[in-house]
Amino acid sequence: MTGGDASDDVRTDRTPGDDTPGDEPATDGGTRVDAGTGTDGGVETAGGATATGSDAFGLASTTAPALDDLDARETLLGVAGVGGFLALWYVAALFQPAYLLPSPVEVATAFAGELAAAEPFTVPVVGVETTAPRLLVMLVESLYHYVPGLVGGTVLGIAVGVAMGWSRTVEDALTPVTRVLRPIPPLAWIGFAVIWLGVNHNGAAFIVAIGAFWINFYNAFSGVEGVPEGTIEVARTLGVDDDLAMIRKVVLPAASPSILTGIRTSIGQGWMIVVAAELIVGNGLGFQILNTAQNLAMDVSVAYMLVISLVFLVSDGLFRRVERRVLRWRA
Amino acid sequence: MAGVSDADATTRPKIRVEGVGKRYDSERGSVQALSDVAFDVRPGEFLVVVGPSGCGKTTLFRTIAGLESPTDGRILLDGEPITGPGPDRSMVFQEYGLFAWRTVAGNVAFGLEEQGVPEPRRAERIREMIELVGLEGFEDAYPRELSGGMKQRVGIARALAVDPELLLMDEPFGSVDAQTREMLHAELLSVWAETGKTVLFVTHDVAEAVALADRIVVMAANPGRVREVVDVDLDRPRERTDPAVADLVERVRGLIGEQSSTRPRG
Repeated sequence: MTGGDASDDVRTDRTPGDDTPGDEPATDGGTRVDAGTGTDGGVETAGGATATGSDAFGLASTTAPALDDLDARETLLGVAGVGGFLALWYVAALFQPAYLLPSPVEVATAFAGELAAAEPFTVPVVGVETTAPRLLVMLVESLYHYVPGLVGGTVLGIAVGVAMGWSRTVEDALTPVTRVLRPIPPLAWIGFAVIWLGVNHNGAAFIVAIGAFWINFYNAFSGVEGVPEGTIEVARTLGVDDDLAMIRKVVLPAASPSILTGIRTSIGQGWMIVVAAELIVGNGLGFQILNTAQNLAMDVSVAYMLVISLVFLVSDGLFRRVERRVLRWRA
Repeated sequence: MAGVSDADATTRPKIRVEGVGKRYDSERGSVQALSDVAFDVRPGEFLVVVGPSGCGKTTLFRTIAGLESPTDGRILLDGEPITGPGPDRSMVFQEYGLFAWRTVAGNVAFGLEEQGVPEPRRAERIREMIELVGLEGFEDAYPRELSGGMKQRVGIARALAVDPELLLMDEPFGSVDAQTREMLHAELLSVWAETGKTVLFVTHDVAEAVALADRIVVMAANPGRVREVVDVDLDRPRERTDPAVADLVERVRGLIGEQSSTRPRG
């Protein structure tokens, strides 16, 4: 619950609405032991040690053999892989001019340079004019596109997806429309984004919102569709007698694994879309990638590509933590 | 639990199934799932409905639960026609239907929250129910951490928490192994004795029916109808090896038209 990030990549997402019929808790080969108590007291040990409740179930975790060795091996191989990649890149770059292939060293230097370069900057919300590292300024520009687009698209997508998954009427009415609109790549709407909203933050946010909408729409829809009928019927016999209460108390929690997968996917896809949108809208990280490349400053271009990657890793990592907390009932 | 003092309650059936028919119409024609089904469930009685697959016992169960409505006849609960599902008839069924995102205590709490039972009383009731089904110490466990038998005990605790007039059970022990099933039978009977609830239990398993029931409603298929209502005048606990028990099992199997066999159920 605390720490324990090693298990991140072991987790597999299940299909929405699955009920885990087996009796065995799906602890990733014994790597994690969640007692399910949810008290994040911090005393609870991750790893082989039995957490309080679990032997009472007769399901005491088998201490994973040589878990640390496995971890160490993984880390070692990972480091070796990165090292090998950098070495290959470095050697290849020796024989190429920097405008064709900048070396890792040049990229690192460019990254530092972008951090050092001061750029005029208006602090968001407060509105104070100041200067800030160019890299950060560009990042903030991108966040102006990314955050509103992601939030708007996600909220709307979940709302429509849940409505369609829950109500047969809504489903019948909207299925044809969604079938036609969904295959259209978000970026194809760029023309409308520009003429409706202009070459500005809103235009780019609009494109991101479209991307986030479909991802969340689909996940919410299939998540709600997958809620077992029996679960809903039980709730009904226990006194839930209106749709909104049923959605709030049963449907949303039951569909939450799928909904959260949608949100996490859109967090990642949102960055892909924002970069593409910015190639046209003309500011932010995506624009920097293209603009610097057009001036053959490939080292700077790669530095901005890495920024995207970093920002994605951070946001995805943070969301995974949230997800794991919310879905702790699911192992 | 209360209300038995009411003079009427002893004579009036808890449930009255009156000439119930259920027809499903589709493009390919109509299917008569139930035809003129009639019987009473007496207050405090343990009634088991048994029959082969396709005899409409699940349809009957769902109709009494209020999840489906009959095409003919009607069903009365304490003299009032059933119009929909409600906490006066809570359900336990084979796939448990537990709320996976809620703990054991959270599952038991669900119906109480819906009824707006205030907090100190609610916690007390949850504790009682968990104790009743012997799940003390597992209040904070999630369903995935429980075995099939334990899951079903949560199902029973959750259903009883709302203090229903009728406990409806549809093949509740169909997914657990034979040994656990026998243990759960004993536990269910003691819960029943302790709470005095009226139980309507549906199964295809004749031996299970004989082990549990005060009376057995034997159904036949095509169309689903009542073949006979069998009184079970045997003391509990009933051992499967007891000749009287074995005889009755044979007799009910004969009514259903199953091959007589001494082979254990499976």
